[in-house]
Order: sequence, then structure tokens, then C-alpha cells
Amino acid sequence: MSPPSLCAAPPRAGPPPPPLLRLRRRAVSSVAASRSAAPSVSDDLVLRIAEQLEDAAPSSPLLDPLRSASALSLLTTPWPTRRSNEAFRFTDISYLRSLPISTPTRTPGLAPPTPSSDLDSHVLFSDGRLVAASGAHVSALADMPPGHARDRAAAAVAASARFSHRDIFYDFNAVGASDVAVVYVPEWAKMADDPVHIMFAYSGSDGASLMMSNPRVLVIAEKGAEVAIVEEHFGVGEEDGGCYWANPVVDIIVEEGGRVVHSYVQRQSPAAAHTKWTTVQQNTSSKYEFVEVSTGARLNRHNLHIQQLGPETETELSTFHLTSQNKQIHDLHSRLILDHPRGFSRQLHKLIACGTGNGIFDGNIQVNRYAQQTDAGQQTKCLLLSPKAVVNVKPNLQIIADDVKCTHGAAISGDLDPNELFYFQARGVDAKTATDALLFSFGAQVINRIPFKAIEKKALAQLKELLAVSRQNN
Amino acid sequence: MAPPFAVAVAAVSSSSPLFSSSSSRPILRRHPLLGSISVRPRHRSAVASAAATESAGKLLLEVHGLTASVKETGQQILKGVDLTIREGEVHAIMGKNGSGKSTLTKVLVGHPHYEVTGGTILFKGENLIDMEPEERSLAGLFMSFQAPIEIPGVSNYDFLLMAINARREKDGLPALGPLEFYSVVSQKVEALKMEPKILDRNVNEGFSGGERKRNEILQLSVLGADLALLDEIDSGLDVDALEDVAHAVNGLLTPQNSVLMITHYQRLLDLIKPSYVHIMESGKIVKTGDSSLASHINEGGYKSIASFV
Ligand SMILES: Nc1ncnc2c1ncn2[C@@H]1O[C@H](COP(=O)(O)OP(=O)(O)OP(=O)(O)O)[C@@H](O)[C@H]1O
Ligand SMILES: [Mg+2]
Repeated sequence: MSPPSLCAAPPRAGPPPPPLLRLRRRAVSSVAASRSAAPSVSDDLVLRIAEQLEDAAPSSPLLDPLRSASALSLLTTPWPTRRSNEAFRFTDISYLRSLPISTPTRTPGLAPPTPSSDLDSHVLFSDGRLVAASGAHVSALADMPPGHARDRAAAAVAASARFSHRDIFYDFNAVGASDVAVVYVPEWAKMADDPVHIMFAYSGSDGASLMMSNPRVLVIAEKGAEVAIVEEHFGVGEEDGGCYWANPVVDIIVEEGGRVVHSYVQRQSPAAAHTKWTTVQQNTSSKYEFVEVSTGARLNRHNLHIQQLGPETETELSTFHLTSQNKQIHDLHSRLILDHPRGFSRQLHKLIACGTGNGIFDGNIQVNRYAQQTDAGQQTKCLLLSPKAVVNVKPNLQIIADDVKCTHGAAISGDLDPNELFYFQARGVDAKTATDALLFSFGAQVINRIPFKAIEKKALAQLKELLAVSRQNN
Repeated sequence: MAPPFAVAVAAVSSSSPLFSSSSSRPILRRHPLLGSISVRPRHRSAVASAAATESAGKLLLEVHGLTASVKETGQQILKGVDLTIREGEVHAIMGKNGSGKSTLTKVLVGHPHYEVTGGTILFKGENLIDMEPEERSLAGLFMSFQAPIEIPGVSNYDFLLMAINARREKDGLPALGPLEFYSVVSQKVEALKMEPKILDRNVNEGFSGGERKRNEILQLSVLGADLALLDEIDSGLDVDALEDVAHAVNGLLTPQNSVLMITHYQRLLDLIKPSYVHIMESGKIVKTGDSSLASHINEGGYKSIASFV
């Protein structure tokens, strides 16, 4: 990975971690000094949030290197605006500033009923706090016994401080995460048929503030290991959880010959904000298969970052975003960086925008100098179901290697194919029913790729419901 | 020559349960020969027989002076089509490429690309032009497309199930569940000698030309129809497939159902015997005769029919 752009990398191992850099403006002189060194770029809103998060996060020695680096970086990072930041050019995140931020109280009060999983291996986050982790290869970082797995996980967490593509959301998470759920799969262990179910439950506070949660997960598939994870993000309690800000990070490392099967379902409350990072590092001959279904949240931003670390990797990305409520924003920013020969990748992004919904897709694929004989394909299909819906689609392939096969296609249409509708009608099915069926199948083509029946079925049922609701509203 | 409907009669008796859409009406015995239409026994009610005065079957489709054009460009394609089809009849339309045959069938089923600019279409006495495409289908009209399109993401099975349930809803019957439907549809798949796997695949997606045609006939055999418009079901089919398809179509024929097929080839007409053959030219039906008209064209081409009486 490229060298850190904004901050010094803490040492990977050996010497004890540096003392935690504090953001307190009054208390810590080193921070005050760095602030005065670069006062013009400090941003009060960013600092205020960072301080709040820091105050709320319990101390955790294994997280300190990452926290310090991110805290430092936040000191000089302005709040992104559409004008100042290319990565947010089309994404209006002003919703995040519409209310003051609050953090979950330390003692959960009247906690809403916690969901349970049918799967043996599972992890439960409640408002960003890791409340349960069970299964053969699953643990909280803080609870891992000393040994190889813990060292590996701690080093990986520390190394993410050097992640050069991060933004303020990645850093907020680093500062605010209270612990890390670790899925560590040792060499040659195969558990791709038996997924780890990672549930992220959120709830709002009083409605006068956005309660912010920063859950964090690390997945390591060692050499030849195979693992499946299912991520589900949802609100609990009144009004589906109401108003809150979920800011999760999932970092994934797939070592040589390893395979990670990743399903991701985001059905947050309609008043929620969801800013998500998924980073993946793929070593030689590894495989990463990702399926995303995002239907929830008023503001949804997913940064999906995949970095190739060795040749002959396989990457499959399938994503579906549905904006079914007015003013809903769904944004996928994906980046696939290929630096080694003979990589294979397929990406499909589908998007339906209804009402005054706004969909954004920025799909970057970099085929760098040494990535010869890469076979990369990218497809995006958007359906705008109302004249007021807006999509901004920016597929971009940057190809430097010369012996590669890259294909891409982007289709945006304002209507379903009239010939397809007519086929249904010619068989006695009215246009409305046919429309429903075609919209459903548009999303189902991605959802069907979720390899776990129960999760797939739930996502399909929810899609059906949302389409019915959005039809009634329009 | 063998009695034209021998195949049909045999097929009906062996596979009549396949065909359910008009079972509510009395079953009449099929007339054995083309030429004997006028001597067909009349078991019909007084009202009906009054409507169909001299000839046998009840009027099913009456097209008069039909003109239609391409909506987008206004280009006129149909230039005054007259066509009458009665119950139990088999009609064939032949004609040069581009003469308007497919356009006629598409206009009949209400394809959105075309606009009717004049004339009338009555189906079972009702004005078809005012009806939505799905209403026409539910009224008993079926068209098999010359070039059926793909519907990515919708399985053949779900498509058929939706179609059959639309029909059942109209008839006041409860919807069939996916499991109940399976036994119905698997029989039809077998009868058409299709791979059962075809049901799980998306509608026509990646289907070969012949598979698409068979799939159209599968839809027909599942849904039934009073009048089936078959647009070149023989093109793209191998010899064996053609026989399977013809057998299925014949199996659907009862004294109440009619077929209008479009074809360029005698072979289909040997398998599904037409009572009438029409020749279409420049958007009009210019000649109507019996099956000998087809053999005439087959031998001498379209230029020969000018002299054919
Ligand atoms: N949607 C359309 N837009 C433009 N032209 C059309 C359209 N539909 C039909 N036409 C034209 O109308 C004429 C008749 O077409 P049609 O498909 O009905 O012919 P056909 O008799 O079925 O021919 P074939 O034997 O080749 O199937 C052709 O010249 C065709 O190009
Ligand atoms: Mg044609």
C-alpha cells in the first residue's frame, strides 16, 4: 500500500504504542501546537465531533496507534463539501450537520429487544458497542488471548492507520470505535458455507440529536482459508430506530489463496445516516465475492475500497441500491486498485431512484503498470422512476497496463423497457403488475447472488415491500 | 389427401385436458373436412345460429378496412385489411417479406408501436381497439411473437405463473401457488418435449431460436386461447421440433378455437391444415383461397397468383 499521506505511520510492532494523542483543545499541548501550525485547515465541526467521540470511547491499548493517527489526521481535515472535495461532488451530506451529534450513553438504558441470529457464529453490535461475539473464529479484539491471532489482528488494526485513501468518516470511526470484532480464520480453515452473521443494531436518541455509532470489524482469512460473513445494518425500537448516524468500518484481509464471501444488507431507518467503509486487501490468488443490498437510510454513503496485493486475484462485486423515499441519497464510491498481473474482476452496480431520490455511483478501477493481462468488467444500470429523481454515474477505468481486457457499460433509463412490459400484457398481465415484477427482478438480479437463502429471502421480501410502498406514494 | 383435421381430432382426444380456457362452452364436434363446413351439424342455440346465418362457426374475429401506421413515424403499414375468422377455423396468411403480416398480428393484440388509423376490429362481437393489450389477452386472443424478446431477471416459471393467475383472477378463481402450478406446467413442458430446466431460466434469455418458438407455444398451451395468432412458429425450428409444435397446436384446436398462422412454408400447412389461405401484399389481403393457394405459391412464387383463380 502507498505511504501515508497525512500522518506518520506508527511502528508496526516492537516498541510500545505511542501515547494516545488527545484532541482536547485545552488539555494537550502537542495538539494545540499542531493546530496553531495549521489553523487555516482546522474545522470546528470536525473537531467537535472528534472530541465527543474521543470522550465517549473507553481506553483500549490495542486501538491507540490507530486512534492517534486518525486524531492527528482529523486536526487537519476539513468537513467535506461538494465544492471542496471531489469525492463528495455529487453527494450532499448536509444531513449530517442538521442536528448536533450525541454518543451512546455508557450504560445502555432501556435497551430495545436485541435481535438474535439463527447462525452459530455471530456478532452483535448495539449502537456501535460490541455486545456479543460467538463462534469458533470470532472474538472481540480486547478479549483475544495473547498469541499469534491477537498479534496479527492488532498489527492489522495498527496498519490501517496508514490507509492513505481514508476520509473523515474512516477517521471518525477510528477515534470513536470502542472495540473491534475480529473474525480470524487460520490457514486452510474452510468455513465459507457457515457464515459469520454480523448484526449492527442502531437506535436513535431523543430526536434532538443524531446518535453516532462507530462499530468496527476486522476479517482476516489466512492463507488458503475460506470464510463467509453476512453484515446486516438495521434500526431497532420505535420508528425503526429513528434518527441516528451509523459510521461503521469493515476491514478485510484475504491472504494467498484465501476466499472471502461477503454479503451486506443495509436497511437502516428512513431517518438514519449511514456512512460506511469497506476495505479489502487481496493477496495472490485470493478471491473476494461481495453482494450489497442497500435500501435504508436517508443518507447512505458506501466507500468500497479494494486493493490487490498479488497476482491472479478474483474480485466479484454486485451491488443494488434503492432510493424509495423522497430526498433519499444512496452513494456508492468503489475503487479497485490492480497492481499485479492476471487479476480478474467483475462489477455490477444497479440502482433504482424513485420520487426525489438521488443515486450516485463513482466506480473507479485502476489497472496499473504491472497489472498486465487483467480482465476487468464493470456494468452499471440505473432506473429513474420519476422525473425528479437524479442519478450521477461516473464509471471510470484508468488503464495504464497495455495488455488488458477491460469492458464497461453504463445504462441509465427513465423507464422500463416497453417491449418487456408489452410481453407481459400480451399474456394477460396488466401493466402495473408487470411493472412491479420487472422492478422486483431488477433488484433481485443482485439479491439472488447472496449465497445464503434466509438472508436472500429476507432481502427479497423487503424489496417487494418497499416497491409497493413507493408505488403507493407516487 | 387425408382428411385435413384427422391430426387435430386425434390430438384433441389425447390431450384435451391441456386446453381449458373455453371449457365452459359446449363442445361441438369438429367438422371433418374443409369443404364440408356448410354441412356441419348445428347444435348451437337459436340466438347463436341466427348470428351465424349460412356458415358454420360463430364469428370470432371480424376485421374491416383496418388501417394502421407506425406511431413514431406515422408510416402507414396496414392499408385496409379485411379478414373474418369463425370458431373452429384454421387460417393461414402468406405474403412477401415486409408485406405487413406481423404488423397485422401485432395491431390485433394492441402492440404499442402501432396506431390504428381506420377500420374496425371486433373480437367475439366486442370492439378490440378500445381494449388494453392485457384485456385482449384475457378475452382469449394470443399472439406468438415472430421474434420473442428476453426478459432478464424474470424466470420462465414466474412469468407463466403470473400469466395463469391473471387469467384465473379474471375468471374468479383463486390464484395458483407455485407448487400447485408445477404439475400443470410440467405436463405441458413434457408434451412439447422441452427440458424442464427451461422453466428456471429467465424468459428467453440465452434461448436458441427454436427454443424461443417452442417457449411461445408452451405459453399458449398453458394459457389457452380462443384465437391463436402464430407468427412464423416454423422459422428456426428443426423438423422434429416443428412436429412437436404442430402437434401441440393441433392439440389445442377444438370446434371453438381458431388459429391464424403466418408462414412462408408448405411444411407447416401440411401439419396444421388451414381452412383458408390469405395472401397479403402491401398491407392488404389481396387474395383468399383454400390450401391449394398455398401449394400454388409454393410452386410458382407470389408472381404466379395473379393468374391463379
Ligand atoms: N415499428 C416499426 N417501425 C418502422 N417500420 C416498421 C415497423 N413495423 C413494421 N415496419 C415496416 O412495415 C413493413 C411490414 O413489416 P412486417 O413485419 O409486418 O412484415 P412481414 O410481412 O411480417 O414480413 P416478414 O415476412 O419478413 O416477417 C416493413 O417494411 C417493416 O419495415
Ligand atoms: Mg413477419
